[in-house]
Amino acid sequence: MALSKADGSRNLFHAIATDIHFWIPFAVLVGGLVLLDKLR
Amino acid sequence: MPATRLRSLQALGIFCGFAAGAWLGGAEAPIKLVNPDISPITVSLIMVFGVFLARWSVPALIRGTSHVRNDVRQAPHLIVWAVLAGCMWAVANTLTIYAIRNVGLSIAFPLWNTNSLLGIFWGFLLFNELHYAGWKRWLGVLGGAVCMFSGATLLAIASAHQAAPGKAAWGIFAALGAGILWGTMYIPYRKAYLTGMNPLSFITFFTVGELATMTVLAVAYRGATPLWHELMGAKSVMFWLMLGGFVWVLGDLFQQYATKYVGISRGIPLSNTNQLWGLLWGILVFHELRGGSQAVYMQVAGGSLLMALGALAIALSSATAREHSSWQDAADREGQRYGVEGEYVRAGMEGRAYGTGSTRRTILDWLLILATTSLFAVLAAMARLPLMDIALGWAAALTVAMLALLAVCGIAIWRTTRFR
Repeated sequence: MALSKADGSRNLFHAIATDIHFWIPFAVLVGGLVLLDKLR
Repeated sequence: MPATRLRSLQALGIFCGFAAGAWLGGAEAPIKLVNPDISPITVSLIMVFGVFLARWSVPALIRGTSHVRNDVRQAPHLIVWAVLAGCMWAVANTLTIYAIRNVGLSIAFPLWNTNSLLGIFWGFLLFNELHYAGWKRWLGVLGGAVCMFSGATLLAIASAHQAAPGKAAWGIFAALGAGILWGTMYIPYRKAYLTGMNPLSFITFFTVGELATMTVLAVAYRGATPLWHELMGAKSVMFWLMLGGFVWVLGDLFQQYATKYVGISRGIPLSNTNQLWGLLWGILVFHELRGGSQAVYMQVAGGSLLMALGALAIALSSATAREHSSWQDAADREGQRYGVEGEYVRAGMEGRAYGTGSTRRTILDWLLILATTSLFAVLAAMARLPLMDIALGWAAALTVAMLALLAVCGIAIWRTTRFR
């Protein structure tokens, strides 16, 4: 049976949220924003 | 994939890496033309406007935006990855402006170019790059990257007298921060291309992240009204900054194709030859290092030679069929995690067509191209060249060299993959 659009989105976000590859760049981005705040 | 096809794609990726170096290096030149009284945040915001226009109009010109819809249907998760990468790019780009202001282009460049070492690390750790590559290729890639880093450091020492006293530490932090952000930004890049996405699709979502981040940063840091006044006061330099953004996008597009076909461990170091191009612009056009001692010129020559040798070593260390099969393992893992069709992933990796979806240009594409061209024409009419000692002859010669690379590399991508 085909997944509904909502189920598809939920699965997609679950796959991203449980992917370590997402959290590495995300953490670096937060670090960059902190550094930028110190520099301004 | 047939061995001949693999060799063609590897050669194409390496060529794209060198073309990326030329265009990314050239993009830094217009920043030099800008009055230092304008806030770096505002400078970055204006550049990103140019980047945004380029990232939509260039794909519209090359293939039409209908192929973007086809890609998103296959791999919708890549929108999130592209936006995340765009946010990282915007923060890194702003940091580079602080770095250039505080320690000068010649020092800032090698520091943020450490991103290639980080790129090799992430490529190996997360995407099976350099697996089963053999010691010769390891030596070529890692040795080449270290060689390039040493050359970059030598260039930095040669131009150390350009640093602004008292601000050097923050400039160095800013440049290193940009390097870490850019080095890590290649994770989403590789993620996208292992899953089969077209670089021309990826950059259209990427730029949503960069424009949104830059706008939020600019309004939060400057305040809406002062920012508006500063933008209005920057009319005469807006063209140069947006042109810098446009040039950067062309370099980045070549970098994306290099990443797609030779991976981040090779594509990123090759595109970091942008430092040599930045140096050429600095010395020949803006007369940097003028009046330097013979030792300084020797350091510049030695550093440039080391960088060129490092790039050559990487260029000669393309992936073997066995290494490429381990990339395919990583691609299968991505496909399974995000439910992407296997044939779409394989077609993307091999640079061939997938499905029969329409990729014709629409009226929207032509409107995008027309609007961007008109805006640049209006800004060019308002632009003024600042009172600086600029060697226009050298600027023209370097521009011609960049355009020649653009044409030759563009034709090579078209012939080999039809811009896939």
